[in-house]
Order: sequence, then structure tokens, then C-alpha cells
Amino acid sequence: MNIIVCVKQVLDPEIPPAKFKIDPAAKKVIPPPGVPPVISVFDERAVEAACRLKDKQGGKITVISLGPAQASEVVKHAISMGADEGFILQDEAFEDLDSFGIAYVLGRAIQKIGQYDLVLCGRQSADWGNGQVGSILAEILGIPVVTLACDIEAADKKLKVKRIVKDGYEVLEAPMPSLVTVSTELGLPRLPAGMRIMIAARTQVPVWKAADIGAQAAELDKAKAHTEVTGLSVPSRKTECEMISGDSPGQAAENLAAKLAKLM
Amino acid sequence: MSPVSVTYWGIPGYAIFWVLFAIAAVLFAQRLYFLFRLMRLGKAENRFDRIGQRIKAMLVEVIPQWCNLKTVTRKDIAGIGHALLFWGFSLFLISYIIFIGLAGGFGASSAIEGTNFEVVYFSILDVAGVLVTIALIMAAVRRYIIRPERLEASAEAGVILILVFFLMALNVAVVGFGYAAHDSNASWPPMGAALAGYLSGSGLAQGTLEAVYQAMWWLHYLVIIGFMVYIPRSKHLHILVAPLNILFRPLGHKVVLKPIPLEEAEYFGAAKIQDFTWKDLLDLYSCAVCGRCHASCPAQLSGKSLSPREVVLNLKKHLLETGPELLAGKAEASSESKAKAMIGDVVTEEEIWACTTCGACQEVCPVGIEHVRKIIELRRNLVLSQNKMPESAQLMLRNLQSRGNPWAGVQSLRLRGDWTSGLDIKVLAEGDKARTLFWVGCTGALVERNVEATLAMARVLKAAGVNFAVLGDAETCCGDPARRAGYEFQFQMMAEQNIATFKKHGIKEIVTTCPHCYNTIKNEYPSYGGDFKVVHYTQLIADLIRRGKLKLTKELNSILTYHDPCYLGRYNGVYQEPRRALQAIPGANLKEMDRSKNNSFCCGGGGGLMWIEEQPGTTKINQMRLEDALKTGADTVVTACPYCLQMFEESIEHKDIKDSLKVKDLVELVEAAMKRS
Amino acid sequence: MDNKGVLVCGEIVEGKLAPITIELLGVGRKLADGLGEELSALLMGGKAGGLGQEAIAYGADKVYVAEDSLLDSYNSDAYTQMAADLCRKELPSIVLLGHTDIGTDLAPRLNGRLGGGLAMDCLGLSVDAAKLLVSTRPVFGGNAHATMVSKTARPQMATLRPKTVPPAKRDDARKGEVIPVEGKLDPSALKVKVVERIKEEVEGVKLEDAEVVVSGGRGMGSAQNFEVLKELASVLGGAVGATRPACDEGWAPMTLQIGQTGKVVSPKLYIAVALSGAIQHIGGCLGSKYIVAINNDKEANIFNVAHFGIVADYKEVLPALTAKFKELL
Repeated sequence: MNIIVCVKQVLDPEIPPAKFKIDPAAKKVIPPPGVPPVISVFDERAVEAACRLKDKQGGKITVISLGPAQASEVVKHAISMGADEGFILQDEAFEDLDSFGIAYVLGRAIQKIGQYDLVLCGRQSADWGNGQVGSILAEILGIPVVTLACDIEAADKKLKVKRIVKDGYEVLEAPMPSLVTVSTELGLPRLPAGMRIMIAARTQVPVWKAADIGAQAAELDKAKAHTEVTGLSVPSRKTECEMISGDSPGQAAENLAAKLAKLM
Repeated sequence: MSPVSVTYWGIPGYAIFWVLFAIAAVLFAQRLYFLFRLMRLGKAENRFDRIGQRIKAMLVEVIPQWCNLKTVTRKDIAGIGHALLFWGFSLFLISYIIFIGLAGGFGASSAIEGTNFEVVYFSILDVAGVLVTIALIMAAVRRYIIRPERLEASAEAGVILILVFFLMALNVAVVGFGYAAHDSNASWPPMGAALAGYLSGSGLAQGTLEAVYQAMWWLHYLVIIGFMVYIPRSKHLHILVAPLNILFRPLGHKVVLKPIPLEEAEYFGAAKIQDFTWKDLLDLYSCAVCGRCHASCPAQLSGKSLSPREVVLNLKKHLLETGPELLAGKAEASSESKAKAMIGDVVTEEEIWACTTCGACQEVCPVGIEHVRKIIELRRNLVLSQNKMPESAQLMLRNLQSRGNPWAGVQSLRLRGDWTSGLDIKVLAEGDKARTLFWVGCTGALVERNVEATLAMARVLKAAGVNFAVLGDAETCCGDPARRAGYEFQFQMMAEQNIATFKKHGIKEIVTTCPHCYNTIKNEYPSYGGDFKVVHYTQLIADLIRRGKLKLTKELNSILTYHDPCYLGRYNGVYQEPRRALQAIPGANLKEMDRSKNNSFCCGGGGGLMWIEEQPGTTKINQMRLEDALKTGADTVVTACPYCLQMFEESIEHKDIKDSLKVKDLVELVEAAMKRS
Repeated sequence: MDNKGVLVCGEIVEGKLAPITIELLGVGRKLADGLGEELSALLMGGKAGGLGQEAIAYGADKVYVAEDSLLDSYNSDAYTQMAADLCRKELPSIVLLGHTDIGTDLAPRLNGRLGGGLAMDCLGLSVDAAKLLVSTRPVFGGNAHATMVSKTARPQMATLRPKTVPPAKRDDARKGEVIPVEGKLDPSALKVKVVERIKEEVEGVKLEDAEVVVSGGRGMGSAQNFEVLKELASVLGGAVGATRPACDEGWAPMTLQIGQTGKVVSPKLYIAVALSGAIQHIGGCLGSKYIVAINNDKEANIFNVAHFGIVADYKEVLPALTAKFKELL
């Protein structure tokens, strides 16, 4: 099976909330110094889903990431988990793209890669979380799409996808090739096994520029700014927390219960 | 006349002697050869370096029996008994060679029998025999009546005790009957002579006495060569193997973990018995089943299933079971035989993950077995090749990979370099160079209670005028949790990364507050090209106090007890400096715990267990250690390790005794003593 | 612009208009009035026809009804096709959906097909001076709020988070048009089939509807330990929730996951047990009236958003808490 996974490098979601700073004028987030960015949590699940399929079916996993040179770290992370190779898409022309633009660039890269049975994306990015790139990409590639997958199996040229819904799951059948967006309910991603960490660390990730993937300036312009951010703010949410104490934790619990019972 | 020179039913005694000896020798050698071939199935390892130093160390351990006397305590005096047995039996062994071998088998009896030498030697043997017998009785009483936890009341041990006793008794009997049969009225050796006296007066015919004498002689001979055949087939193999095992012990650093070479392999770590090195396999032969490791293991003592003794014995049994097939060239035991999985059937995953790598087992082992690295080798296979580990371990390792530190969730509260804010200390930026680096470690930078100690250290260093720099945000984990959890390649990557960082900034000397970082950077980084002078802060502080750079003037009226961290004490031999530093504090009253210095009891945080969830047992390791501290009557526990500090805080909180007992890092007390009143 | 009007893509649940649809009609009406344009609704599925009048009562001027049998239960390809066809014909300026199982799937696909501009999981919708739809949505796990517009791309689309706006008021006297949608769907165009629907049976109160929620996080330690939460929840007549890490560990089913991805709840009382209060989780419970935190780390972020807190090991607090509540309630 040939699988392509799209991954994004994002600001570490586990930074202390107090350290989260924005530049409201530039409408950008200021990353705290010394905190390495990480692979988007949902994209990591997508890589995990690909690795599980490769474990069962064999095949090849190619990872692509649209981002700055540092994005090679997340491609390497994917390789350490089990991907075979990866590319980063980096070009001045790729900066400040919205979902359509990103989907267009990814689409061009996928077309360059050639044959594939499955494209995997995270359900949304862990930073801006627009949650559309996967579906738009499927539209561009002209393939079916299944969203919010928590399990993917392949058999007889068909995909069996378990999808999360509010009170349970749906099981869907999709042809190959299709695009599937993956959610965290897939389960924990694997720890890189054996020597893969070292192999990945020593890998050189090739960079594809706009010319390499045939991304047209006109198309990029057209794809630009379907939506734009007009404002960014940090909601203030400090509440005064009343700490309940007691002679013992049990006592404190009783005091709390008494207080809450009055309020209910 | 030696019974060997007599002819029995037409067969010369010499023939009987040598035929019996040949049979025994063949059985003895054959077994040893088998064991040797099994040992050679193990991987290669160089333990032949500095052979002179090795021989010297071995002789010091074995001949004065330091190997056993080192473990003598008020509660466990068995080491003395063993020393008596060893010295006594050594004398007997020499006597067998001279008086049975040379005098008997080689027919040199006329030159030896009746000589003063013989009389003197046998008199010495009488004394030795009494001492040995006392030791045997002590041993039997301990093993079968007192029944301490660490000793098994096994049949094998009983057989050996009885056999040795027989040898003692038969020795006297041979002398006594011999004297009586030959009308000797010698009065030495005393016991033999007394027996002879009794027999002479008993009215037995000379012929009878001669016959019994010969029978005793041959019985004595049979027991000796029988013992020879039995030794390599029982736990008494340790007689032959233990000295070798001690010879091949690691010199210097005690837990020697080997880097895994970066080459494609079917799997990593130890999945099969032959994945261990020959030294590991030799360890298995050396075990005398004394159980001291079992009795000092914090996991075992807190009720977990792990017992170092059982691990060693189970691996030994596994080696002997699968050995023949392995030697026959089959890669794995066939399905007809009991195809046991080493990880799972022989050593369970539960046992493997309970180990805190504290090294108490190795410290107390008389025969030099290296338990810890076998556990780590098993972990390597589980983590690198089977992807099996407790969830808490996986979470910690994933965090280490993405964030460069093992503290998941805590990162949500502070960043690595936050502790430096507001302090006037040098944080290294790109291109900066510094000679001395204060390496803080993950816990000291990220966990609130430990940050207090880090700040105290920074202030103390400044007050002492030490010129140092820190890495701040650029500091990442030294890799110790990854290595102890078996995730070797992650460790290797982190080691290489850190070494490059140190070299980039021209670092020559590293001072750290964490014994795990200290151990890792000092002893393990050199394998990856990192050679730096590494100092634990207690060493530096002791030195600064000695040189007068730190003046401790404020009185501290406290009863202190110092908890030796495993990775500082047992792993690196640093016991004195922290105590010297504490004793320099005016008014500090230092009381030692029962289990202290190299006998210190683990806090429970090593081996990755700071993050890996402790298995359910009868109690928690840190709670046990708290009891040790409470027994001293101290109001403050002092330690020099961030994990130990956390573990004590947790156990104090759990027991709800924060008002009566505090735990402090050594540097916090030093700083407090520096302040002007 | 050729695009005019606000279109609400409605959902039908158990033969009735879904609550989110009624909310959308409410906010849709306000937007339409602000623009001086019409509000329409698209209802797809077997029961669609019977609900047209109701949609009008809730504020729609026109209701498009598509009763093709292929639309009886949600099918991504079918719904996307139907909605796209309608949008290409009617050219709405604004298309609104709920941020639900259907909306999160349908909206991006529809947007991709139409080439509009979409903002997902919105907390607020308004129209600015330039008559553009302004969507306010959480980003970076909830650490920040962003406002987004589509200056030129049409239609302007948004998925609205349930229970963030009040439902529309019903006025049965309202007049409007119910228009059946023509054209049958081509079954061969449906590439993805739903093979099975598995409902996870949840005992007791449903999480989204509960007045009291007791949630456990990473600090719980095991699936077994969640029992104490169940006991407390049952005494309080509430439901149990969990954070993503707890679900990742397998201690609670995914359907109980509360947070950025997962469920958003706004009960009267939210008791957060042994969870640190990561922003991604907090976003799912901030709407609660009272948040109570029980955690043995006094620096945990949850204390920054809680109204009441106890710093202690939950194992020592919960049994006493449950017992006392039993006594008092």
C-alpha cells in the first residue's frame, strides 16, 4: 500500500498557558524562546494510522510537510515512527496561505509523488485548527474523503474506516484511493522502535520549492485569502479560586460538599 | 602403610584409586567443559584489561574473605561462618592433595607418613575441623531453625552441609583408626589420638581395626571425589567460579552498560539467553544462592515480585535447560522441548519493570554478580524491539523525544530556563564560551520544589565566587531516564547532542546537583566522545568549605540524618563529602540511619521509576525509607538528589508529618548556614 | 456580489429539527436582518418535508426540502452533492451549519466544492460595517480567539458551536415558502458507504445534557480509579467525563472525552478531578456555572479557572465528598 501523510509542525500545545503570548497587531502568536515546536497531535495520529496499515499490509509511507526548514524535524519524527521518506514544501510563495492555498500546494506535491492508495491528514491542525485542508485536498485530488477516523483497515482494495460520532461510531467503506482525516481517538502513537530514532536523525529531508511541484503563482494567488484573520486576542479567564481546606483532605471534602450543596 | 598400597581381592589398591579418580575426574571435567561451552555462547566482552589490577583485587576479596566479611552486620554474621569454612576447607583441600594424592595415589607415603610435618599439619586440621564444624552447625541452625528470609531451607544445602561434616568426621576417624591399627601412641593430633586411645582400649582385634581403618580411608576418599563430581552440578560450583567472577568484575564503575552498535540487527537487547555476554553467564554460575541480594532489594522488600536472586537463578536454570539444544546448533529451542520465552516465562515483565537500579544487590553480592545490567538488557529488548513497556514509561519516553525532558504535564507550568529569571548569572548564548558549567538537570529546572534547591545552589556558588555559566533553555535531558528504561538509541542521541553542546561552548568542567546526571555525564558520556571533569555539587561544596570560600556561621539547631542517594553513593562512592559539608554547619547534629552509606536504602526514584508507576506491593519504597529516617529521631532529612527530595516530600505528605519532619537538599541547609544571623 | 441571503443547513434528529438548527435559525435571522436579506434553510432527509413549516416558524423565509431516499441518514457524498447543487443554484452569501458530527464533515467538503471561505467551531457570528460575516472562533487549543472574514470568497461559511447562542423563538404565525428540491442524486456518485452504526451505551445521564459533570484526567492513574468518579456522579445525578490523556490511556471511552476535540459541556457544576487543566480541555468546560478542582498540585492550571478548589490527593477527597453529598442531598 502506498500511503501519503500530510503533517504540520506547530507550537507546542503544552506550553504553560501563562507563557502563551500573541502579537495582536500582527495577528500572530509569539513562540516562547527555547521551546521546540512539535508535530501536530492529530497529524501524529495520522502517521500512526499509516504505520499500523504498513505493519499489516506492507507498502510505503511518504510524509510531506508544508513549512519552514525546521519542519524537517516533524518529517524525521514520522520517519522514526515508520515512514519511509519525506519532503518539506518550502518556498516564499507558500507563506501566509489559507486552507485552500495549503491544500493546493499539498495537492501538487501529491501529484508529483504519483501513485497512492491513501492520503492521511490530521482532522485539524493543533494550532489554528481550521479543520478543512483534508476535505479541500480531497476535492482537489478528486477522491472520496472520510473524516474523524479512529481506526482504518484495508482489505481487497477497499478501506474500512471507523468514524467518531457523538454517541458512538460509524463504520464506513471507502474505495482506494481516498483521503482520511484522523482524530486522536485512534490511540497513542508508537514509540519509535529499534534504531529508527537514529536512522531518522541522520536522514536528510529534501526540500521542494514551488517550481519542483509545479505550483503556479496564479493558482496560489487565486487560492490565497479565502479567509483571513482580522483579529487575534487572548480571552481573560482568571477566576478567583476559593481554596477549601480542612484538618484533613476528608474534612476539606466535607466542607466543600456543604458549600456546593447550598449553591445547587 | 597406606591403604592404597594394599591389594584387595587380587586388585591392587593403586588401580582402584586411579580408576575411581579417573572416573571422577572425567565426570568433573566433562561437566565443567559443558558449562564452559555454554558460557561461550554469550556475546564477547573485554574483561581482560589491566589483568594485574584484576588479580590483585581478586586475591584481596577471596583470600581474606573480604567478599563475605563486608556483609557482616549485627543481624547477619553468616559472613564470619563462611570465612571459617573457606579457610578451614582450604587447609583440608591441601591435605587431600598431599596426604591422599601424593602420599596415597603417588605412593609417597613413606616420605610423608609419620613425619613431624604430617603430625603438625593434622593437628592444625583438628583445629580447622572444629572451626569448620562450628561453622556448619551455625549454618544449619540459621538455615533450618532460624530461617531468615534470604535463605532457602533447601535439600541441596542440607546435602552439602552433611557431606562437609562427614569429611570432618571421617578425617578424624581415619587418623584414629590408623593410629589404633598401627599401635601408635602418638598424642597429636589430639582428636585422632584420643579416638585411637579409646579404640585401643576397646579390645577390638588388630585385624578388625586395620580393616575398619582401610574402609574409613576409602570411604573418605570416595566422599572427596564424590564431592568433586558434585561441585559443578550444584550451587557449590561457586567454589570454582566465584574467584573467576570476581577477577572479571568491572574495575571502577560498577554498572557497566554497553552502547548498542549502530548496525542493523534482527532485534536489540536480550531476548534469548545467548544475547547476554559470557560474563553475564558466568555470573549465573557464580551464584551461591545466599540470598543477600534478595534481602536488600527495595522492590522485593516492599512486596513486589522482583527478586534479584530469583532472576539470576531462573536465568541459570534457563541456560542449563536450553543449553544442550543451543550447543547442538539449533538457534532456538525446538517446539518439542519446553520453548520458554526468556522474557515472560523465565523473567516476567513485572519483575523487569520493578527494578530501581539502586545497585544494592550488586553491592552486597559476595561473588560479584552484575544484576542491574541484565535487567536493563531485558528492558532494551522490550522497549526497542517489542514496543512493550508500562504506559507511564511510554509517556515519559515520548515526552523525552518531543520535548527533551521527561516531565509531561509539568512543562505546562514552567519552561526550562524560567528558574534563571531575575538572577544575575550567565546564561550561555550562541557563541559564548565558559569553562565551568552548572548543569541543573530536568527535575531541578522544572519541578517547583526542586527549583528551590537549584536557586539555593546558584546563590551559594555566587557567594563562593565560583565562576560558572548555565545553559538555561538550551539545556535538555542528560538521557538517564531513557537509558535506564532501556531506550538506548534515544539516550545515545541525547548524549551526542549534549556533548556537542558542551564542546561548542568550550566547557571543561561540569558541576551538577543531580546524581543521575552526574553519573551519566561522568561515567557514560565518555563512550560517546564526551570527556569532561564532572563534579557533584556536594564535592564542590565540601571543597569550598575546606578552602574557606564558604563560611558557615549561622547555627542550625537540628537533628539531621543524611540519606545517601544510590547514584551518588553506591554508584560513585561519594559518601564523605556530603557528611563533611553537613558537619561544617554549626549546631548540626548528624545521626546515621541503620541503612546508610553503601548500605543506603533506595528512595524508589531511580531506574526510570520516578515516572514509571510503582507496582502494587505491600508498601511503597519511599515510605519504607521514611521509616528508616524516622527511627533516627531526626527533624530534618537531608539529601543530595532531586529524585530523593521528591520521594521524601511525597512520603512525608502521605504520612502527614510535615510538622515534625522536613526534607531538605543539602545546599539549602548550607545556604541557610551562610546567612548572617 | 451575486450572492445573497443566509442559508442554514439544518439537521433532523429523530424526526425533529435538531436543537442546533433552531439555534442557527436564531442567529441566521439576526444576520439576515442585519444584511437586509432573506433567511433560508435546507432540510435533507425523509422527514424533511414535514418540518418545513416548523423551520419557517423559527424564522426562515424559504425552506428547501430534499427528500431523496439517499439522504435518509447522513451520507457525506450525498449531502455534499445536494447542498452544493443547491448553493450553486441559489447562490447564498452566507451558509451556516452546526459544529456537529454532520457539520464538521459537511462544511469543509461543501466549502471545498464551492470555493468559499469557512470558519469552524465558531463561538460568535456577526455582520460588520462592510456587511461581511465576522466569525469568532477559538484557536491554539483555546488559548486565543480569532475573528475571521472572507472578503471576496463566496459563500461565507461557518459552523457554530452548539449551545453558544440562544435558540430562535417560535412564531407559528410566520409565513414562508417550502420549496421541494428537484433532481435526484446519482447513487453511483456515492463512493463512501456507511456500513454500520454502533451506539455506545452510556448508563445514566448523557454527558451533553447533564447538570453535573465529574471529570477525571491524567492524574487518575487507572480505569479502575474512575469508579470513584462514577459514584460521585451518580450521587449528584450527573455524568462522568474525561480528558483526552485519560481517554488515550483507555481509562474512559472516547465518547466521554471533553475538550477541544471531544465534547463541550456547560453543566451547572463541573468537578475536575486529577486533571491539570490544559487549555485544550478547559475549552470544553468553561461554560460551566461552577468549576471545582481537586488536584494535588497547587500549581495546576485548573485552579486558574476554577471557582473552588482542594489541593489534595483525590483518593483522599472523593470518598468523603461523595459521602457528604449523599448525606446532604
